[in-house]
Amino acid sequence: MSDRTTLVQIEDLTVKFPGNPAISHVNLTVERGEILGIVGESGSGKSVTALTLMGLLADDAQICSGQILFDGQVMAQAGRAQDKALYRRYQGARMSMIFQEPMTSLNPTGKVGAQVEEMLLLHTDLPKEERRRKVCERFAAVGLKSPEILYGCYPHQLSGGMRQRVMIAMATILHPDLLVADEPTTALDVTIQNQVIALLKEINEREKNAMIFITHDLNLARRICDRILVMQNGQVVESGRTEAIFEHPQEAYTKRLIAAVPKRKRGEEAVVTQQPPVVEVAHLNVFYPKQKTGFFKKNEKQLVVSDANFVIRQGETLGLVGESGCGKSSLSKAILGMNRDITGEVRHASVRPQMIFQDPYSSLNPAKTVEWLLTEPLRAAAARDDAWKMTADKRRELVCEMLRKIGMDESYLHRKPSQLSGGQRQRISIGQALITRPALVIADEPVSALDVTLQAQVMDLMKKLQREMGVAYLFISHDINVVYRMSDRIMVMKDGRIIEQGETKQIFEAPQEAYTKLLLAES
Amino acid sequence: MTNKTNEKKVHSGSVNWYLWIGLFMTVTAVCMAVLGMFWTPYSTTAMSAAERFHAPTWRHLFGTDNFGRDIFSRVMHGAGTTIVVSAFVVLISGSLGILIGATTGYFGGILDEALMRIVDAINGFPSILLALVMISLLGSGRHNLILSLGIVFTPSFIRIVRSEFIRLRDADYIRRARLMGVGRARILFVHILPNIFSTFWVSVMIGFNNAILAESGMSYLGIGVLPPDASLGNMLSDAQGYLTRAPWYALSPGLTIVWIVLGFALLSEGIRRSGEEVSHE
Amino acid sequence: MAYQSIRLFGKKIITLIMTLFLVSVAAFLAFQIIPGDVVTAILGTEATPEREEQLREELGLNDPPLVRYTHWIGGVLKGDFGRSYRYSKSMNEMMPVAELIGDKLPVTLWLAVLSVLLIIVVSIPLGVFWVRSKNRILDAVLNVLTQTTMAVPSFFLGILVTYFFGMVLKWFTPGGYVSYRDDFAGFLRYLIFPAISVALPKIAMTARFLRNSMLTEQSQDYVRTARSKGCSSRRIMYGHVLRNALMPVITFLGMIIAEIVAGSIVVEQVFGLPGVGRLLISSISNRDFPVVEILILYITAVVIIVYFWVDMLYRVINPQISKQ
Repeated sequence: MSDRTTLVQIEDLTVKFPGNPAISHVNLTVERGEILGIVGESGSGKSVTALTLMGLLADDAQICSGQILFDGQVMAQAGRAQDKALYRRYQGARMSMIFQEPMTSLNPTGKVGAQVEEMLLLHTDLPKEERRRKVCERFAAVGLKSPEILYGCYPHQLSGGMRQRVMIAMATILHPDLLVADEPTTALDVTIQNQVIALLKEINEREKNAMIFITHDLNLARRICDRILVMQNGQVVESGRTEAIFEHPQEAYTKRLIAAVPKRKRGEEAVVTQQPPVVEVAHLNVFYPKQKTGFFKKNEKQLVVSDANFVIRQGETLGLVGESGCGKSSLSKAILGMNRDITGEVRHASVRPQMIFQDPYSSLNPAKTVEWLLTEPLRAAAARDDAWKMTADKRRELVCEMLRKIGMDESYLHRKPSQLSGGQRQRISIGQALITRPALVIADEPVSALDVTLQAQVMDLMKKLQREMGVAYLFISHDINVVYRMSDRIMVMKDGRIIEQGETKQIFEAPQEAYTKLLLAES
Repeated sequence: MTNKTNEKKVHSGSVNWYLWIGLFMTVTAVCMAVLGMFWTPYSTTAMSAAERFHAPTWRHLFGTDNFGRDIFSRVMHGAGTTIVVSAFVVLISGSLGILIGATTGYFGGILDEALMRIVDAINGFPSILLALVMISLLGSGRHNLILSLGIVFTPSFIRIVRSEFIRLRDADYIRRARLMGVGRARILFVHILPNIFSTFWVSVMIGFNNAILAESGMSYLGIGVLPPDASLGNMLSDAQGYLTRAPWYALSPGLTIVWIVLGFALLSEGIRRSGEEVSHE
Repeated sequence: MAYQSIRLFGKKIITLIMTLFLVSVAAFLAFQIIPGDVVTAILGTEATPEREEQLREELGLNDPPLVRYTHWIGGVLKGDFGRSYRYSKSMNEMMPVAELIGDKLPVTLWLAVLSVLLIIVVSIPLGVFWVRSKNRILDAVLNVLTQTTMAVPSFFLGILVTYFFGMVLKWFTPGGYVSYRDDFAGFLRYLIFPAISVALPKIAMTARFLRNSMLTEQSQDYVRTARSKGCSSRRIMYGHVLRNALMPVITFLGMIIAEIVAGSIVVEQVFGLPGVGRLLISSISNRDFPVVEILILYITAVVIIVYFWVDMLYRVINPQISKQ
């Protein structure tokens, strides 16, 4: 810690893509051995900053002002063409990078061993056997088992966590002075996420290299970073030591960002209702066909949800937490009747529960207007139920009323989904689900694809509509903090089983199962 | 959350030359062909021994042939035949493709499996060979040519429509439409169909071009549109014998085919590019 | 791993044989149900009923279709392809189809081989060059040039080649086909020009396809990873991008080869080559069905076998597919 000197110095950096400025007047420094977090929502310019530093910008990007110094050496400067030869000597050897998507970041047709070895091939003169030995050593060092076998594997044969370890092995094999990690855990499950974070931290402590950790997740940054830099719209909003930023944020944006992070703190007390149930689930098993392609096709079934028992009552929110692949989505499909291969009982008190999906970009028909989208549920209801038969004017009135309820207005009626932002699309989705006043809405990760500030807004909207319309939600998420904020009661799911359920407060304060404790500890 | 360093298309903002040139070529070709159905400068059949093998002049824009017939008039007429035949071929195969592809793609099942085996087998085959077989079964002539090419081109449309329907049948917005209780036919043709138009349109244009090439090829071989009915293909076949004497005789129908096909190809590329630009914004 | 590959190979072979069998049934039956009596076609309308009946018996037309099919396919498997209805060998004997096809086959095969070689040798470097050149004008020129080439039907291209190379430049004599039996080098020299006519549009297609495939690959995440390691653009292109970009091109080339087998039918007509394509056309016009049936079976077999090998090659090169 004594030899702390500045490794990276970015001064007044402005980068433009044709048409739009990506970042403007960014200043930052990275000291040797420290972990600097760059935090911001999508489009804040955090990745562009890192890519510029690494010399990885697309050819049409242009540095308009400022310069980048790496260990005293000017790497890039406004008005000067990029020195590609200089960068090639530094890239990989002295500065290296880990990316978000471990699947697509590795060459699908190359053996992972050879891909890591390419680093040594490019930057050292080691003989072939020596290179191979070093690669295997490195695999072992990042916690990969049987490195010799792994050497000859292709990326698709590895799990997401293993791939990210391979990426880390590749990035650190030459002991670079700087490691840039761009959302390295976003695509991974919570437990794997944790292991990768621990590994990065361990490498940082062992090898004393500097690290830039880019994330949209404030909690994550808090756990790993020494210093934090907050970015918004291509500019640095605030920077400082991690504790200082969290305890005494100076800027309004930082405060908003911190406030928007779902914390275990609720404005209102959980309502425990004794209302009649809208759905009762008893001894529910859900199966999935497992297709075996052989000469004779054998259709085997796989049990994906076993023995689920619960009720959802009118006007309440039941949260469902679990990692990907735990059976959350299969459970919701079974409740909706989309998967009929079930045993046990699902008893609905009313007809037609509706659903809200995760991805706001794929849940609205792109060929239609907002008006059409909101009217269609009414038309469909009218076709089955005379109670919903009404005049066109009355429909339009209902649609406009719903638009106002979701915080939009008539000016949006003729827009298509492509002309709406992600948050607005999710609002329309919610409106579409609620316009026929269903008793139950299943929301499958409805805020996971949104930025934190938008997350808070959408959740508040859902709560407000619940109060106004008395709808019950089954709220599914992998993020226990989000579930905490929304739910009156919580179920925890693991490997197809509901391992624990109870009132929110009770689950958080006195979790019974080890897995629940683990989930709580990690977030 | 990902800031992909995607290369943006270079030509955003500049004039879409592909679209305008393609449009120009297609419109002139179609106008001449349509005009040729009602009126041509000279009779397409009147022979004149005195006017054999005249090189192109203002009187005979494309010159005259071995019987002294005006080639320009015959090209106008032949282009009409070629375009009409191809349009019918695309109409038949396109509508069959939508009907069959939409239902099998959306509902799946054994029927779909069986159908796809057949479609795959046919699709793997050179289309001209299949058309030859069909023609040898049905006999030549304009109507049989339309029928056989229409059948031969159907599988490729089925495949495209089907794969689009498979892609979209599990899209979130279609799942939600099912939850709302929207009827099946309405989901197929009101919810899904508008979303595949851009893809379908591109394949219609490609199919039209392939139909033109196939039609003229078959007519060239003497098993498509038969003389005295003029088609660009059988004109070329006649002209080949007089290549030294009257090269313009072969060049006129040949270049007309190139003009039509290239115009359409440029037009579809132009449409694709303008679509990309819109989606970039 | 090895066991799986052998099993896969075996399965593919069985599928291949099944497909050929089905095609043979289809090809045979199709020509049994068509209108027009073969006997009248051969003898003309003025033959006596006795003569007609005798011929029918000779050709085996009185047997039920299944018997005739078994008879026919049994012959095919033993190398007896039946006899033509049209061409006679001597006064009383019709020409065996095998003999009819025998000396025409090499012409078509060599034409196809030359064309495929031309396509591979020219289109792949062209595609790579196209992607590497960052010049906008060159890009536009290549784009228009390939679009135009693709718009030229192969028979018209054949006529153009005949005109320019044969009549204007006089590099070869149109119609002056040299038999491969007499002078193999001369035969190949003559075949170059038809091969160019077959290959040019396909070269344009393949080059465009490769270019698009490479552009797609270049924007993939793994290219960014390679750059972050300090790879030169050359190394990225040849070490990472090209290999991935060629995967779909292999399948595409398989389709192109199948198209060529058929495309050469037309070009043979243009250049007056005595290949099986011309025979097929004339047999169709003459309703000489034994010949048509065998030729369809033959072309089908070639296409299927090409697909089979392309599929195998693809599995060997692409590691992602071998896992299934």
